[in-house]
Amino acid sequence: MKNNEIQQRLRQEAKTLLEQGQVEYIVGYETGSLKFTTTPLLTKNKDDTDRLIVNPFIVNNLSVYLTEIKGKVGIVAKGCDSRSVVSLIQDNKIAREDIVIMGIPCPGLIDLKKVELLLSKDRDELGNITRDEDRVVITIDGKGRDFPITEVLFDNCLECQIPTPQEYDILLGEPTTPISGNVSKRTNIKELEATPREERWNFWKEEFSRCIRCYACRNVCPACFCQRCFVEESEPQWILPTPKWQDNLIFQVIRNIHVAGRCTDCGECERVCPMNIPLRSLTRKMYEIVDELFQYKAGMDKNALPLLTAYEPTEAEDFIR
Amino acid sequence: MSGSKIINKKDIGKLLSQWNEEFVILVPSKEGDTTKMAKWDGKDTGFIDWYRNTVQASKTNFFPPMEEMFSFQKDKEGYHIGLASSDKHKQLIFAIRPCDANALAILDVAFKDGYEDPYYLSRRKDTLLIGLGCINPYDSCFCTSLGSSPFDSTNVDIMFTDIGEEFFIEEVTEAGKELVAKTEGLREASKVDEAKASKVKEASYNKVTRKIDTRDIDKKLLACFENKDYWEKVSAKCISCGICTFLCPTCYCFDINDELVRKQGTRFRSWDSCAFPIYTEMPVENPRLEKWRRVRQKVCHKFEFFPMNFGVVACTGCGRCIRLCGVNWDITQAIESVPAII
Repeated sequence: MKNNEIQQRLRQEAKTLLEQGQVEYIVGYETGSLKFTTTPLLTKNKDDTDRLIVNPFIVNNLSVYLTEIKGKVGIVAKGCDSRSVVSLIQDNKIAREDIVIMGIPCPGLIDLKKVELLLSKDRDELGNITRDEDRVVITIDGKGRDFPITEVLFDNCLECQIPTPQEYDILLGEPTTPISGNVSKRTNIKELEATPREERWNFWKEEFSRCIRCYACRNVCPACFCQRCFVEESEPQWILPTPKWQDNLIFQVIRNIHVAGRCTDCGECERVCPMNIPLRSLTRKMYEIVDELFQYKAGMDKNALPLLTAYEPTEAEDFIR
Repeated sequence: MSGSKIINKKDIGKLLSQWNEEFVILVPSKEGDTTKMAKWDGKDTGFIDWYRNTVQASKTNFFPPMEEMFSFQKDKEGYHIGLASSDKHKQLIFAIRPCDANALAILDVAFKDGYEDPYYLSRRKDTLLIGLGCINPYDSCFCTSLGSSPFDSTNVDIMFTDIGEEFFIEEVTEAGKELVAKTEGLREASKVDEAKASKVKEASYNKVTRKIDTRDIDKKLLACFENKDYWEKVSAKCISCGICTFLCPTCYCFDINDELVRKQGTRFRSWDSCAFPIYTEMPVENPRLEKWRRVRQKVCHKFEFFPMNFGVVACTGCGRCIRLCGVNWDITQAIESVPAII
């Protein structure tokens, strides 16, 4: 199914959900105010459903809004987002019966930062970006340039193994398969692991020196649902609100531990960081550790206990290392 | 336009070196895929080709994300206060955009109101601003709706205009005039140069296509203050992070914290944001617990309270809050949808 067919069906389904009173809210995407950009659409109004869109730029993980909205919600969810929804159900933050998941099998999203780097142009200086299966054509000043799609997809999309929502009420489109044989660009876990400890420390020191503690990484993360984040505690004060690099690093490390087993590798933390800190190098590593030690992937089974709240006596105990 | 000068772009390095003898020079700089005004390395002038505007506004150079205010220490005799070491030096910011220079003029008002902030003001006093007009504004820019333009030289000392191979240089303030007078390697601008500059400015003005109507905006916002439906709708997708306020060139809220290591203490101040649920949580709690109240505060502070108190809108149309927002929350859409007064 093509995007516009999926989009058409989505609009109909969303409208029906509101009309029949099955949900009070629809949470999806609409055209944003900047070139290529999409923006979350949260609405109660059935007429707004005509604005819903599906395209290669629907970046936001909309499940972040679920804990905030009171009432039943129909939500548009890609593979990773649907797992975030399930993870929130596992954590009892939301109830399954309050959510209608309109799943979108996701062929991967286009990372505008990669496009900008590839062409040394900002997004508003580009003409069009058109995806055709495994190619992408980008026009500048009327001239089209052709690239393999893997050059411009988000790192987490390139590494995504579960692009089709597993938990859904309505699946818009045919299930899709993971993109194979590709290397990520920004997330250099292997490279970092191969660097001597001191060098790696210096790398993170430099990266976290830029952090301004805007907390966009935390606020955009559906797994960060604490009413009050530990960084905001003053008794005890775990870390200072002052953006010293050491405190910034501790903030991120603790956040990472808190979302272990909840993180679905949606990549939003890294995408929104205005200081371009490669946060996914940490979250992806944690994702892999969780998988390796516990054979657990976040948000795959709504009936499973959340990873860090469950313990089996038979579990391996060599996880502290 | 008498007194205007010309310099060839390839001589910018020489020009900056000359100025470097008297000033610490800050230029648009890349830092790990992000950008800000940072100390010139004495060589690289590549920014002329890539620079549109920096991710962090020049506010950072005067009001950094964090700074030490003073240190304190306790012994048998009591507390001892040590003033923060000041990095007093004359500095020159090269290629600041008009929106960011205008923003500094707004911050000046805030940091002088009632109490003169020595940290901010001392840095400001010793700084010369060399503006560079925009020939390629972003699609998020809307300076022309705020009485400004891509070539607004109101708040710079010297203004540069890109006319192709060369820069057209205009003196704006006395300090700017003095600096130009003692600068070597500039040639007098001709009528042709002047015409070129005017053409560039006009073309650039027309490239700013995002518009908002700010007429009576303070009154409209006042009238809609209690309109919860409007504010709830407008704020729905905001995720309450600090990107828009921290990167805003005119936002100036800060928090103060003490760091104590044994008996050695340091008092820091760091950026704070009205978007945060725990903002201003001093005696009891934030009176703006609900998101719509916080979004309202942000919009009204810029477009209602600030103009009412100081006669100027606290937004320069730089567009960072739109460009950098993770959910594409757009202040121009909010302003445009403020209900008309009935």
